Amino acid sequence: MNSRILFAGLSLYAATGLIGQTGRETYRQDYDAWREAHANLERDAGTGGPALIPQVDRAASLAAAFETKRAAYVKSAAQNASQERQFLQTAIARVSPDVAPAALAILVSGELQTVTRTIDRFATDKDRGIQQLRQSLERERGTLAALNGSIEARQKAVARTTEASAVLEHARLRTSEALMAETSELLQNSVQLEKENAAWADYYEKLTKAIQDASAPPPRVEITTAAPRTEPAPGVPRARYVGAWTYPTVNGLYHGAQPEFVDLVIHEANGHVDGTLYERFKLATGSTGDPLVRFDFQGDFTAAPTQRFPLVTSDGAAGTVELIPGPAFNLLEVNFQAAPRANKIATGNFILVKK
Amino acid sequence: MKRAARLSLFLCALGCSAARAQNPTAGDLASLEETAKKRHAEWESLATSLEERLARILPCDPRSTTAIAEVGRMSEMRLAALSDYLRAASAKAFAETAAAKLLLDAEEKHAGEAARERADAGQEQTAVDIQSDALAQSIRQRSSLQDAQKSLGDIAALIRQRAAKTEQQAGMADKMVPLLRDLVAKFDARDVALRDETAAFELERTRWSGYYSARQSRAQTECFITQTGAAPQAPARPKGKQ
Repeated sequence: MNSRILFAGLSLYAATGLIGQTGRETYRQDYDAWREAHANLERDAGTGGPALIPQVDRAASLAAAFETKRAAYVKSAAQNASQERQFLQTAIARVSPDVAPAALAILVSGELQTVTRTIDRFATDKDRGIQQLRQSLERERGTLAALNGSIEARQKAVARTTEASAVLEHARLRTSEALMAETSELLQNSVQLEKENAAWADYYEKLTKAIQDASAPPPRVEITTAAPRTEPAPGVPRARYVGAWTYPTVNGLYHGAQPEFVDLVIHEANGHVDGTLYERFKLATGSTGDPLVRFDFQGDFTAAPTQRFPLVTSDGAAGTVELIPGPAFNLLEVNFQAAPRANKIATGNFILVKK
Repeated sequence: MKRAARLSLFLCALGCSAARAQNPTAGDLASLEETAKKRHAEWESLATSLEERLARILPCDPRSTTAIAEVGRMSEMRLAALSDYLRAASAKAFAETAAAKLLLDAEEKHAGEAARERADAGQEQTAVDIQSDALAQSIRQRSSLQDAQKSLGDIAALIRQRAAKTEQQAGMADKMVPLLRDLVAKFDARDVALRDETAAFELERTRWSGYYSARQSRAQTECFITQTGAAPQAPARPKGKQ
């Protein structure tokens, strides 16, 4: 199935769904909740019996929630930083000096010299017309001189911009290089935290096993005709299945029909499981089908990580439900199939979050 | 006071997003630069040959004023294209500066965060050390806890690695802030130079316009004195009366 598709989406789930609700303050609150639940487990593990296991499960679940949230936050923060720093990877905007070349000044000063020579040539001419022309030339010379001054001033300004841009570009390269090194470090942080998350899960499983093994009664020498009850796989604590579960309101992962809400409660006593699932699906517009599904299931825990139980829907149809622990302690995949009936939803596959 | 602070933050955010919205792409800027160069070349070819062409035309020949007007018009087009290019380059430059300032702000926050993460790692390391000690005591009573102890040892090693990393990253972030402050100062200096250049260009632009008016005026004077011998003088003002 679909587990692979669903789990492939988990990283996306972590990166989108959780990020919206995460932040340093939030995950630190989760840390405090975890440490409070953990309390003195190591000290108590020396003498404690099975009664200690729910506390281990709760601490494991809170540790997974904290580590998952923190890794998602750190990953998101690193990705944001990487994006914000992206603009420093490209060269800064520079004004091309070629759009108003220096030859322009030569043209104007050439004109200025010509006009000045002409004025000088007419300097002693008393003719009234020539004098008028000379006055006109002097006005022109005035505008040319002013223009020449403006061109010089602009060229100096261009030189200052060019110099400031060169200095800036040099600083940009140096800063960008340093930032790239820092960004690359930041992007690796979430990988380290994911390792810690897995290590904590492993630790709590071993702690559970150690307590279970030490508390297990000696094997009874007796013949029984009843099928032996099997314990769950040593590496999968029952807390991975037992409890109240819900479908997340945002960024839920599913395959097939899309759930609107799901409420699943699983109880366990002496290795025997019973559970109830109540669900409403989102139907396509115009569909006349029944969006509600309700079924009960029961059975015994098996050694396999995937627990499979027979189910009976509220309208009496039979089927099976699979419970598959997610990659984090607070995630559980549910996959059910019931006998097909008219206007009824017979299959569903989604990931639930522990309440 | 609070309202003023909020308002200034809002205006900054507004300004930054406006700067980003107006920020021309590299393609736009290249196209505007190309246009400016083209207009310059068109004007230059007419401007450099203007006096030579006018020398071959009689003063009152209408081609004389037409030729000056044409070069003046080409000059306006060149300056308009240059103005468009400068405006776009400035917009891009100012958007870069705004982004650099946001980056500095983010880095200052990141430096604070890195310091807190360093403290968190220290706190977690202490917590795991306490757990390890307690577990070592419990193993005396329950040897089945040895596997768990090994796992906890692995966790302690991972946290130590992370603590060392956060230490190093906090140091990096601390160094990054002055580097970015310096960069922002250089962005600001470039922007000041760019504003000066734009102002100098605008002044030059008005002077080009003044020059072509004066040149046109000289052509008219040349025509007038050729036809009449002298341009009419403005009536003399009676002295001492205003």
